[in-house]
Amino acid sequence: MTSSASRYLPFRALGELSETRYWMYLLLLPSLVLILLVIAYPTLYGMAISFREMRLTRPGLDGWVGFKHYAAMWSDPVFWIALKNTVVWVTAAVVLELALGLLTATALNRDLPGTKIFAVLILLPYFLPNVVAGHMWALLLDPRLGVINDILVRVGVLQTYKAWFADPNAALAATILVEAWHGFPFFALLLLAGLKSIPEDLYKAAAVDGAGVAAQLRLITLPMLKTVIAAAVILRVISLVNSPDLLLILTGGGPGDATQVLSLYAFQTAYKEFNFGYASALSVVMFVILMIFAVAYIRMSRITKE
Amino acid sequence: MATLSIKDVRKAYGSVQVLHGVDIELEDGGFLVLLGPSGCGKSTLLNMIAGLDDTSGGDILIGGRSVVDLAPKDRNIAMVFQSYALYPTMSVARNIGFGLERRGVDADKRKRAVEDAARLLQISHLLDRRPANLSGGQRQRVAMGRAIVRDPELFLFDEPLSNLDAKLRVEMRTEIKRLHERLGTSIVYVTHDQIEAMTLGTKVAVMKGGYIQQLADPRTIYERPANMFVASFIGSPAMNFLPGRLVRNADCVRFEASGVSMAMLASNPAEVSERPVVLGIRPEELKVAARDQASVTGMIDVVEPTGPETMVTVQVGERSVTARVPPRFAGQRNEAIFLTVDPVSINLFDPDTEQRIDI
Repeated sequence: MTSSASRYLPFRALGELSETRYWMYLLLLPSLVLILLVIAYPTLYGMAISFREMRLTRPGLDGWVGFKHYAAMWSDPVFWIALKNTVVWVTAAVVLELALGLLTATALNRDLPGTKIFAVLILLPYFLPNVVAGHMWALLLDPRLGVINDILVRVGVLQTYKAWFADPNAALAATILVEAWHGFPFFALLLLAGLKSIPEDLYKAAAVDGAGVAAQLRLITLPMLKTVIAAAVILRVISLVNSPDLLLILTGGGPGDATQVLSLYAFQTAYKEFNFGYASALSVVMFVILMIFAVAYIRMSRITKE
Repeated sequence: MATLSIKDVRKAYGSVQVLHGVDIELEDGGFLVLLGPSGCGKSTLLNMIAGLDDTSGGDILIGGRSVVDLAPKDRNIAMVFQSYALYPTMSVARNIGFGLERRGVDADKRKRAVEDAARLLQISHLLDRRPANLSGGQRQRVAMGRAIVRDPELFLFDEPLSNLDAKLRVEMRTEIKRLHERLGTSIVYVTHDQIEAMTLGTKVAVMKGGYIQQLADPRTIYERPANMFVASFIGSPAMNFLPGRLVRNADCVRFEASGVSMAMLASNPAEVSERPVVLGIRPEELKVAARDQASVTGMIDVVEPTGPETMVTVQVGERSVTARVPPRFAGQRNEAIFLTVDPVSINLFDPDTEQRIDI
C-alpha cells in the first residue's frame, strides 16, 4: 500500500499541476509555439528581407540596403497604380458584397418555405476556391466562347462580343463584379446570424410607432448589426487586400496595369522577377496600411465600447 | 378611451386553426386579461388587435370603428412588449417620444408630453440615458412611458412582467393597476400568470387551444369556473377534484365518494338525477372540524407551513387533496383529519365533458 503511494503517477502529477497558475501557460504553449513558428517568424523574417537585397537572379547582390526599397517604391509608378487599384477594388467589392449580403440575409430571415434550400444554394459561391471561381468566370466571360457575351448579344445589350478583360475600363469593373459574386455569401451568412439575434418585438414596436421599412432599417436593423458588419468588413478587407489569386487568374494585373493591385504586384515581384527584397517591402507597406485601416475602422464604428 | 369588440375573430396558418371564432366585448375603460398557457392563442389575438397579425375572419372594432384593414400605426393603440423592445440607439427621452415624432408632433409639445409621462412613471432622471444602461424595472417603465405618452384609445400589454424578478413583478403589477385607475384607458393584457389576471382584470378571458374557455370577471372565474380546465388553471394550490356520485334520498341530494359524504344545495332537489360527477373544492374551503361534523375524512400525508398559512395534503380514499388551514395547525403525518366544506363554495363538473354542472 505504502509503496504504491510513492510510485510515480503521471496523471496525478498532471492533476496537481492543473491546480496551479502555471497550468494556463502550459495549455497556451502548443498554440503559442505554432504561432511563433508559422506566423511570427515568417512575418519578422519578411520584414527583415525588406531591408535587404535578395534577388534569386542576382545572388551576388545579397546584403543590407536600408530603406532603398521603400525609396524605390515612392518613385515607382506601378506601386501607386496598384495602391489606387487596391483601394478601388477592395472598396467597391466590399460595398457591393455588403449590400448584396444584407439583401440576401434579409430575404432568408423571412423564414418563407424554401428558404433553407436557398440558404445553402446562396452559399455555394463562397464554397468555391478562388482559383476555381476565377477559372469559371474567365470561361464565362471569354471573348470568343463566353456565355455572358452570347446572352448579352442575344438580349441586345451588346452589338458584338466584348473582350471584358482586355478593355482597361471594363477590366477592373468586371473583376469587381466577379469578386462580389464570390464574396457576398460571406456577408449574407454573418448578417443572417446577426439578424436572427434582433428581437422580433423591436420591429413590432416600430410598426406600432409608425416607422416604415426604411426607418426600421435605419433605426433598428443597421444599429443592431453594427458589430457584425464591422467585424465582417474588417475580415473581408484583410482577406481581399491579401489575396491576389482571383486577379491573377482573371487578368494577371492587365491589361497594362489596369487591374494591378498590391498583393498581386508583390506576388509577381517575388515569384516572377524573384526580387524578394522589393516584394517584402511591398508586403510590409500592405501590412501597415491594413493595421491603420483596422484600428481606424474599429475606432470609427466604436464597437469596442459596447 | 374606447370600447373594444372582437367579433367571431378567427386565425389560421394554412390548415392549422389557432383561433376559433373568438367573441369578446370590453367596456370603455375596462381591463381585459387574456389568460392561458403558452400556445393557447392569446398572443396571436393581441397581435391581431394591434394589427401585427392579419385576421383570417371576423371583425375587430376599437371605439366602434372597424380596424382590421388599418395598419398598426393607424389603430390608435399603444403596445408594451415582453422584451420591452426599446430602440437601443436612442435615448430614453427619444424612445418615449418616438411614436409622437413619427406622427409629426412638434418638438416642444413632444418634450412636454415625454416629461409628463416620465414624471408619472418616476423616470425623469433617466431621460438622457440609453436603454443599455437601465435595469429591467427601469426599462419596463420606459416601455410603459412610450405607450402612455401617445394617449391612445387602447393599451396592449404583451406579458409585460414576465422578464422581471418576483419582487419587481409585484411592484410593477401594482404600478400598472394604479396607472389604469389614473388614466382610465381601456387595456388588453396578455399573461399566463393567474395572479396578474386576478389582480388586474375587470374581465378575464381564459383561453386554451384557440378557444375562450370562460369570459367573466375574476371573481366569477375563481368561484364559478366554467369547466375543469379553468378551475385548475386559476388558483394556487389548484382546486381539488374528487370524483364521486350524486345520490338523492327524499328531498335531499348528497355527494358520495370514498371518504366523502356531504349534502348538496340544489335549487330543485326533486329534479336532480343520480349520476357520476366530479366535486371541485378550493383548498381554502376545506376547514378542520370535529369528527361528527366532518364531510371529508382522510389521513394527513404532508404538512407544509408557509408562514401565514399551512398547506396540508390529505389522503381521501384514492385521492389526494390539499387543504389551506391556519398557520398553527397541529396535526401530524398519518393522523386522521376531519374536514368540512360549505356547500355554497363547491363546484360540480361532468366527468366526461369536464363542464360545470349547476343543480
